[in-house]
Amino acid sequence: MKINSNNPEKKGRNKKCGEIVLTFASLALVLAACGSSSTASSNPPSASATSGNLTWWASPIAQVGIRADLISNFEKAYPKIHVTLQSAPTNTDTNRSQLVTEISGGSTSPDVFMGDVIWPAQFGAHGLAVPLSKYLPSSYFTKFAPGLVSGATYNGQVYGSPLFEDQGFLYYRKDLLAKANLPVPTTWSQLESESLTLEHDGLVQYGYVWEGASYEGLTCNFMEYLASAGGTVTNSTYTKANLTSPSAVKAVTFMRSLVTSGASPAAVTTFQEPQAMAVFDSGNAAFLRNWDYAWSNSQTPADSKVVGEVGVAPLPTFTGNSYPGYSNIGGWNLYINPHSKNLAIDLTFIKWMSSTAAQDILGKTYSEIPTVESVRLALASLSSTPPPLKIAAQTKLVPRPAGTPNYPALSSAIYSNVNSALSGSTSVNAALASAQSKAATALAGGI
Amino acid sequence: MAVVANELPKVRRSPTNTKIKRDTHSKRLARIGWAFSTPALLFVALVTIFPIGFSLALSLSNVSVTGNGFSLQGFTFSNYYELLNSSTWRYAMEFTVFYTIATVLVELILGTAIALILERLTKGRGPMMALLLLPWSMITVISAELWQYIYEGTYGVLQSMFSAVGLGSPVFLGSPTPAVVSMMVADIWKTTPFVAVIVVAGLVMLPSEVFEAAAVDGASSWTTFWRITFPLLRPTIAIAVLFRILQAFGLFDLPFVLTGGGPGTSTTSLALLSYKVMFQNIDYGPGAAVAVSATLLVIVGSLLFLRVFKAQVGKEELQ
Repeated sequence: MKINSNNPEKKGRNKKCGEIVLTFASLALVLAACGSSSTASSNPPSASATSGNLTWWASPIAQVGIRADLISNFEKAYPKIHVTLQSAPTNTDTNRSQLVTEISGGSTSPDVFMGDVIWPAQFGAHGLAVPLSKYLPSSYFTKFAPGLVSGATYNGQVYGSPLFEDQGFLYYRKDLLAKANLPVPTTWSQLESESLTLEHDGLVQYGYVWEGASYEGLTCNFMEYLASAGGTVTNSTYTKANLTSPSAVKAVTFMRSLVTSGASPAAVTTFQEPQAMAVFDSGNAAFLRNWDYAWSNSQTPADSKVVGEVGVAPLPTFTGNSYPGYSNIGGWNLYINPHSKNLAIDLTFIKWMSSTAAQDILGKTYSEIPTVESVRLALASLSSTPPPLKIAAQTKLVPRPAGTPNYPALSSAIYSNVNSALSGSTSVNAALASAQSKAATALAGGI
Repeated sequence: MAVVANELPKVRRSPTNTKIKRDTHSKRLARIGWAFSTPALLFVALVTIFPIGFSLALSLSNVSVTGNGFSLQGFTFSNYYELLNSSTWRYAMEFTVFYTIATVLVELILGTAIALILERLTKGRGPMMALLLLPWSMITVISAELWQYIYEGTYGVLQSMFSAVGLGSPVFLGSPTPAVVSMMVADIWKTTPFVAVIVVAGLVMLPSEVFEAAAVDGASSWTTFWRITFPLLRPTIAIAVLFRILQAFGLFDLPFVLTGGGPGTSTTSLALLSYKVMFQNIDYGPGAAVAVSATLLVIVGSLLFLRVFKAQVGKEELQ
C-alpha cells in the first residue's frame, strides 16, 4: 500500500487520481450551486381562482377514505379544479425528509402538503413553506380554536392552516372502575394509586399505559406532566432551557415513579402509540394515554376486546392544581410549496379545507377534532358526537416548544434523556442535567 | 497473471517480434476493454463517487437548506469541530466501533465453527447451506420486525420463555445494556451464515495433501486446525471480516426498526445519527460530517485490519 514517490509512473497515476477526485468535488459544488432555482412568484394570487390542477401531499389520516372524501367534496364545490392526491409516508420523519428533499430541490409538486403541527418554525426558517399570512387576511385566522394559529406562526408569519387537531386523552375502563368503586382520576397521584389498587385486586394486569419510548411521543407525554407541574421547556425567546427546574424534576420523578411503583409496566419505556393502544385494547390495562384516534380503535370489535367498556376524560393534573390537566397539541396543518405554480388555486383549496363543510366531514364522519372553533363547539353539543370530541372543548392545551427551527434536536434532548430516567439507567437529576446541556446545544443550533 | 503471460514467449520463441506484436495486441484489447467499460464505470462513478464527493463538500461548508436548494458557503472545518465537541457523536462513534468489533468477532468464531461442521457433512450439505442462508437473505427491516415480536416487553416470545422458567419478566429493549446485547444477537443471527458460507468455500478449496500429511504425523484435530486449517484459511477469513466490518459500520436498519436509537441514545449508531441530524434536524453540514467521519473510520479500520493481517502472513512466510 506504500506509495513510492520515486516511481514516475505511480506519480502520474496519483496525479490522475487527484485530478479525478478534484473533478468530482468541483462537479459536486457546481451541481450544488445549480440547485438554486427561482422561487415562487411573489405576485399576489388572483382573487378568483376556480379552475386548474393541484397536487395534495397527505399521509393516510387515521381512517381510510378521509382524503378521497375531502377531495371529492372539494371538487363538487369547485368543479373546474382537479386535485391529485400524492400519498405521503405514514412515518412523520420519513414524510418530512422526502418533502425537504423535493422542495429544496426546486420541485413544483406537491402544491399543497399536509404537515405536522411542529413543522412551521423549521419549514419557515428554511423557506420550505409559503407564509400564508402574506396572502390571507388576518380575519381568516381568527376562526381557529385558540393556540392553533400561534403554533403555526414563526417570526410573525403564519405558515400552516390548521386542518385537524389532536390531543392527549385519558382512556379508562368504565367496568373496572365500577367494580372497584373508584372515581375517574383527576390527579396524577390518584391515577397511580387507582392503577395499583386495580392491579392488586387482580382486576387487570397493568394499571396505566402510555408512550415512554425514546421518540417524539415521549416529548408529548412529558409536556403534559411538565405543564401540570407549572414548568416550561425554554424561556419565551428560545434562548435558554429550563429543564433542571423544580417543575421538570417533579414531572420526571412522577413519571419514573409510575414505572417503579408498578402502576405502569416496565415495558412502557419501549411503548409508542400502537403498543400502548394494543395493551389497552386487549383488556390488559385499566388506563391509557393516547390521541383522539384511540377511541375509534377501542370501539372496533376486530381490534379491541373492550368495546363498550371505555370511557374518555381529560388528563389529570398534579394535586393542588385545578382540574383538568394539560393535553399536548398534535394534529396536522396545510402548507404551500414555495415553488407551486398554482398559488391561487392552492389558497382556494386551503380555504375550503377550513370551511364548515370540510371541517364537518372531518368531525362528523371521521371523528377528527375540527380546528375551526364554531364547528368544534357545534359538534360538542350533539349527542351522537364521539366522547373525545366532546371533551376536546373542555381540555387545557399545551403545545410542544416548536417555535424554534431547532425543535427536532431540542425534542431529542428531552425524549432521549427522559427515557434514560424512566428506564432507571440514570437518575432523574442526572438525566435532566444532561437534557439541559443537550437542549442548550440544540437551541444554539448544534447536534 | 499478466506478467507471467508476457514472460512466457521469452523462453519459447524468437523473443522480440512476438512480444511487440503481443504488446500491441494486448494494448489494443485493453483500449477496447476501456471503451466498453467506460459507460458502466461512469455509471458507477455517478452513483458512488459523486455522493461521496458531495458529502465531503457538504461536510466542509456552511450548508443552508432553503426552498431554493442547498447553498454551500465557504470552506470550513466547523462541522467537524462541532462533532468533536458533541458527546452524542462521541458516544455514537464508540458504540459503532464497539458494536462492529464485538459482532464481527462473534460472527467469525460462530461462522467458522459452522463452516467446519458443514464441511464435514457428507450428506445434506446443500439443503443445510440453503437453510443457513435464510436469515441472511431476509431483508433486515423484516427480520428486525420479527425480532421486535421476540423482544417485546409485554407479550414478547422471549419474555414468556424467561417467565416460564422463573426468570421474571425482563424488558429486553428497555435499558441500555440488554438493548445493545439484544440488537447484537439479532445481527449475529442474521450475518453469521454469511461468514459461514464464505469460510466453507475457503475450506473446500484447501489442498487435501497437507491434511493427509498431518494425519500421518499423528496431529490431533485441534493442532491440525490451529497449525494448518486456520493459517491456510486466513485469506478467506480476511475477506469475510472485511465485508462484515464494512457492513457492521453502516449499522442503520436494525436500530431504526428495533429501538429507534434508544433507550436514551444507547443504540444510536453513526449512520442513524447522521440520518437524524440530516433529515430530522435539517442540518446537512454536521450530518454530512457524521457520515464522512463514519467513512473515514471504516477505511482506517479496514486498512488496519489488512495491515495486521498482512504482517502476520509475512511472518509465517519468513518462518
